[in-house]
Amino acid sequence: MLQIKNLHASIDGKEILKGLTLDIPDGQVHAIMGPNGSGKSTLSYVIAGREGYEVTGGQILLDGQDIMEMAPEERAAAGLFLAFQYPVEIPGVAMTMFLKTAINSIRKQRGEGEIDALDFLKLLKKKQAELGMSDEMMKRAVNVGFSGGEKKRNEVLQMAMLEPRMAVLDETDSGLDIDALKVVADGVNRLRNEKRSFLVITHYQRLLDYIKPDVVHVMAAGKIVKTGGPELAAELEKTGYAGYAA
Amino acid sequence: MTTATVTKFPEKSPYQPDTAEGILRAYDAFVADIDDQPQWLVDLRKSSLKEFKRRGIPTPRIEGWKFTNLLPLVKGYGDKVGQIKVSHDKVDGVIIAPLMEMLDQDWVKAALSEDMPPLQHNTENTLWHLGNIYLRDGIVIDVPANKEIKKPLELLTSAADGAFFTDRMVIRVQKNARLTIVEDHWSKGTFWKNRLTHIVLEPGAKLTHIRMQDDSDKAVYTQTTNVHVGRDAVYDAVAFCTGAALSRNQVRVTLDDTGAQCHLNGANLLRGEQLGDTTILVEHRAPHCQSNQNIRTVLDGRAHGVFQGKVHVHQPAQKTDGYQLSRALILSEGAEMDTKPELEIYADDVKCSHGATTGQLDQEPLFYMQSRGIDAKSAKALLIQAFIAEVFENIKDEGLKTSLERKVEAWLKQ
Ligand SMILES: Nc1ncnc2c1ncn2[C@@H]1O[C@H](COP(=O)(O)OP(=O)(O)OP(=O)(O)O)[C@@H](O)[C@H]1O
Ligand SMILES: [Mg+2]
Repeated sequence: MLQIKNLHASIDGKEILKGLTLDIPDGQVHAIMGPNGSGKSTLSYVIAGREGYEVTGGQILLDGQDIMEMAPEERAAAGLFLAFQYPVEIPGVAMTMFLKTAINSIRKQRGEGEIDALDFLKLLKKKQAELGMSDEMMKRAVNVGFSGGEKKRNEVLQMAMLEPRMAVLDETDSGLDIDALKVVADGVNRLRNEKRSFLVITHYQRLLDYIKPDVVHVMAAGKIVKTGGPELAAELEKTGYAGYAA
Repeated sequence: MTTATVTKFPEKSPYQPDTAEGILRAYDAFVADIDDQPQWLVDLRKSSLKEFKRRGIPTPRIEGWKFTNLLPLVKGYGDKVGQIKVSHDKVDGVIIAPLMEMLDQDWVKAALSEDMPPLQHNTENTLWHLGNIYLRDGIVIDVPANKEIKKPLELLTSAADGAFFTDRMVIRVQKNARLTIVEDHWSKGTFWKNRLTHIVLEPGAKLTHIRMQDDSDKAVYTQTTNVHVGRDAVYDAVAFCTGAALSRNQVRVTLDDTGAQCHLNGANLLRGEQLGDTTILVEHRAPHCQSNQNIRTVLDGRAHGVFQGKVHVHQPAQKTDGYQLSRALILSEGAEMDTKPELEIYADDVKCSHGATTGQLDQEPLFYMQSRGIDAKSAKALLIQAFIAEVFENIKDEGLKTSLERKVEAWLKQ
């Protein structure tokens, strides 16, 4: 699904990703854990195609296709999704309108017609109910006045609506209370299937108790420094990152 | 012993009288052609002619015009004063008549004769005098007391190519009456429209005044609106401007009595070489009055936006609530915004805020939207629509609001 080969990326002349390699096959959940500032969010932004990063080496392939030259919206249409560590507020743009525009933009890029207005509402209602989000929230502007936890749920709601094939979740668990964590994890688990892959960035094993990863990576100083099974997360919880200094 | 010689230079005048000549070439033919008029109007015309000859067309040497250079765009006009037609539909309960038929009404006379001191803060009144000189076209709109007119009064101006035009609207909403006026201007061609509007709101009256100005991008559109708001009356305005090579929207609102309110909302969407100027003066003359100025400007290409707004709180105007905010969005490097927000306060118990911001589209929301599949152009359009939408918030009529939102969408698609 997603292959990253020897990726080097810098921002404002400062190299953040220093030869990162990652291979996520179809249907798998990979987790990345790593100390603050090791470049996890940077990786997620570079995958999503955010401007301002200079990729100085390496490749990112989605289903074997190099996505480096693609605009963020083209990557979304190709099936990529990023749940932001810090979801962005968009005053004046209502949630419902935003979601509908997003779905229709993706459909248009794929050469499909617009979604039926009623089908859209039905789908939205269903996903809202699953994630415990009210109609009132859907009338508000995107993320405006949402609590930290609500913003994270909202990321998962958007993911559920857009049905990506490859989703990157950047600390979607941070700021969630225990119940919300479970709701969000269930939301992710419902989407798991043999075709869809996830890259879950987190600091805590607890999320991985709910979303069982196939593979766990440790990232430090812009590189993957260790890869293992779910047991690696438990080990890190005990030892911390002391042994992984770059 | 030394003697100092003090040479006193005459104070330098900001006026350029010679610039009056062009536009006055049409004057003799114009006055020869109009029928008998009351003496007060003849006198008004003459005194304005004198004033205008002394000052000429406003140039950037005048403080209130320092950002807007009108002269180069209008100096070609003058051989012809065209007839401007104001068309409107009939609305039951509203008196609408040609200006020339209403000159015997005292309130019309009072409105037309109101003295506007020169350089009255931002609203320099030379264009007012020019309107008096060529006063002829226009309409009077009068709503009798206690009438609530539900149906918006729609009107438009048509101006032919190649001339200078001036028209007058004299509007009165009597006690506790309500009216909505929707102006729609979209003339084609090259011309200069110099429009003057008087509005008198009696106690408890409410006027919702929407103006859409999408005249040709070769035209010059100058508008001066003088509003008097009486006790507990409300003036609610939305000026939506996408047109003209140069437009200047001068508004002077006087809150004359307790509880008067004005809400001045404006949206200017400009591109190419367009210049759009909003110049506002709000005079708080009585206690417990409220004023809001909320102006949004979007500039693309090499467009130039100007906002000059002043809240003047006179000494008796205690408990004034005055708010003013201009926000501009610059979409391209060549665009430019000039702002001059001002407060002048002589009362001690007031709540006033003012400010102006100029910025670019935030990159974060743009990327967020793109990451959801929305292409960059649509994402920008959504952000711009959201930026503008706030100035339509006061509009109760959903149909009107939608039509304005559509106009924003249409502008974005161009
Ligand atoms: N615009 C920028 N200019 C310079 N340095 C930057 C910029 N953006 C990020 N960085 C630096 O890049 C490094 C990696 O940041 P990143 O946000 O990717 O870390 P992270 O692993 O996601 O951390 P956390 O666990 O705290 O979320 C940090 O040292 C950060 O300060
Ligand atoms: Mg991070």
